[in-house]
Amino acid sequence: MLDIPLQVWERVKAGVLWKSLFRHGYPDSRKNQSLAVFTNVFLHLHPVKVRRHALAIPYTWCMGGLSFFLFLVLTLTGTLLMFYYRPTTEWAYSDIKDLETVVIFGQLLRNMHRWAAHGMVITVFLHMIRVFYTGSYKPPREFNWVVGTLLFFFTILLSYTGYLLPWDQLALWAVTVGYEIARATPAVGDEVSFLLFGGYQLGPNALLRFYVLHVVALPLATGFLIAIHFWRIRKDGGISGPL
Amino acid sequence: MTAPRGPQPFPGQEKRLRLLAFVRQDSVVRVDKRVEDTAMVWPHLLVIEFIAAMIWSLGLFVISALFNAPLQDHSTVDCTPNPSKAPWYLLNLQELLLHMDKGLAGVVVPTVWLVFMAAIPYIDRDRSGIGHWFTNEIGRRVTIFSTIFTGVIVSGLIAFDAVIKQKYPAIGWPGYAEFASQYFPGGRELIPNYVIPIFLMLALPFVLVQLVKRLFGGGTREWMIAIFTGFVVTYVVLTVVGTSLRGPGMDLYAPWSLPETHQCFAPRP
Ligand code: HEM
Repeated sequence: MLDIPLQVWERVKAGVLWKSLFRHGYPDSRKNQSLAVFTNVFLHLHPVKVRRHALAIPYTWCMGGLSFFLFLVLTLTGTLLMFYYRPTTEWAYSDIKDLETVVIFGQLLRNMHRWAAHGMVITVFLHMIRVFYTGSYKPPREFNWVVGTLLFFFTILLSYTGYLLPWDQLALWAVTVGYEIARATPAVGDEVSFLLFGGYQLGPNALLRFYVLHVVALPLATGFLIAIHFWRIRKDGGISGPL
Repeated sequence: MTAPRGPQPFPGQEKRLRLLAFVRQDSVVRVDKRVEDTAMVWPHLLVIEFIAAMIWSLGLFVISALFNAPLQDHSTVDCTPNPSKAPWYLLNLQELLLHMDKGLAGVVVPTVWLVFMAAIPYIDRDRSGIGHWFTNEIGRRVTIFSTIFTGVIVSGLIAFDAVIKQKYPAIGWPGYAEFASQYFPGGRELIPNYVIPIFLMLALPFVLVQLVKRLFGGGTREWMIAIFTGFVVTYVVLTVVGTSLRGPGMDLYAPWSLPETHQCFAPRP
């Protein structure tokens, strides 16, 4: 019974298309497993070997990895959302409404983006907690902790700028709270709020600014910092562990 | 004499060394990876990452299929919801706003905290205990102690604030704001909005650190644990209070009797 599918499978694996995609079979020797990791563009972020300790879920809680996972999910769903959303006070709200009622799977898409965003704030916070209590910020990882602090800040900013975009009552008034805070900055309050919100009222300028920050500036900055973060983990000798 | 094995240098170049890179030993971090202590990334780490990604993708799908993201009516400046709340992860700051000057709560405190946090690894540099949760048993106890200390104090302060805000004509108490504007130098601005909060925010961590030193001994790592735990607990307590106990007028309510946010429009079912 299984002969035919097996034969087809063997054929496919012997064919030029398959061979051009996957040069090797399943890596079952240590040498090939090493090669698989450092010749693959996606896997080469990893070292070839890690300390056993680093694999323990009670140690890392996987929280750094999951923060990155959610960042990727957000990038993907966010890009799809951009197809349907116009950042103007005339259209923003109705575009979101359309997502919910007209666009196929639009509601699901929006939900995924929203819940992943909340999730990322939580995972980043938990990641920070685990890094702190395991003493993983200590030399030689000082700088990566600083990068992490920035990542925490940027995660919150990303979430906050996204909050305004639906342009509903919830969005407007939640962001107003932040606006009032910005205005209360000692000495330069008016300048800061003008810079961030593009005026002395939350209007079209604020919406456009938040949109650009949310979909271009902040994701780029965050991606850049994540790249440094990962690079430094490698250069600092991998995940911390008992000395 | 037999020639050494391997590739031979060109004649006349015997003394040259071929190096890819020369890295001084102490300029990079040496990791002691003994063979028995390591695992291959393929398959051991990748399998964990794969499973985690699958479970989380599935979980996110399920949650998104079950719960809709909120969407209220079109925004309008003519209708201010009561209360207007920031997103939950900023409600801790919004909670602080109720107790001190806005600029202090919303800008100065978070900035000082972020700078301090970035500086932690430059203050606490002793590497012993890396890789162990809470460093050791003492660290664990410091964490528990600081959690209780901070939880009690922060909740206590919020409750105290809610109590003295009220008027009690029977004992002649006009309410804190009124009292402050009558009797405090600088009225209800200087002392309630600046002096007391700044004093508390400096004194309480100081007291906590002193207590930890007295009770548990310990050095930099221990007091850093105390401070950081204080921060985390404050963050969580303020967030919970801001999210589930604050109702109209940002007054305190029991979570089960929290009135609906006042809207000009009907909230979506
Ligand atoms: C977008 C946010 C972030 C992402 C995607 C991220 C990702 C990661 C990943 C994948 C690791 C590997 C180990 C692990 O999973 O625990 C890691 C380690 C680390 N992270 Fe993050 N991180 C983020 C934010 C932060 C924050 C907020 C901090 C601290 C303030 C931080 C500090 C560190 C440090 C010091 C390490 C090395 C830990 C060790 O060697 O044990 N990161 N990060």
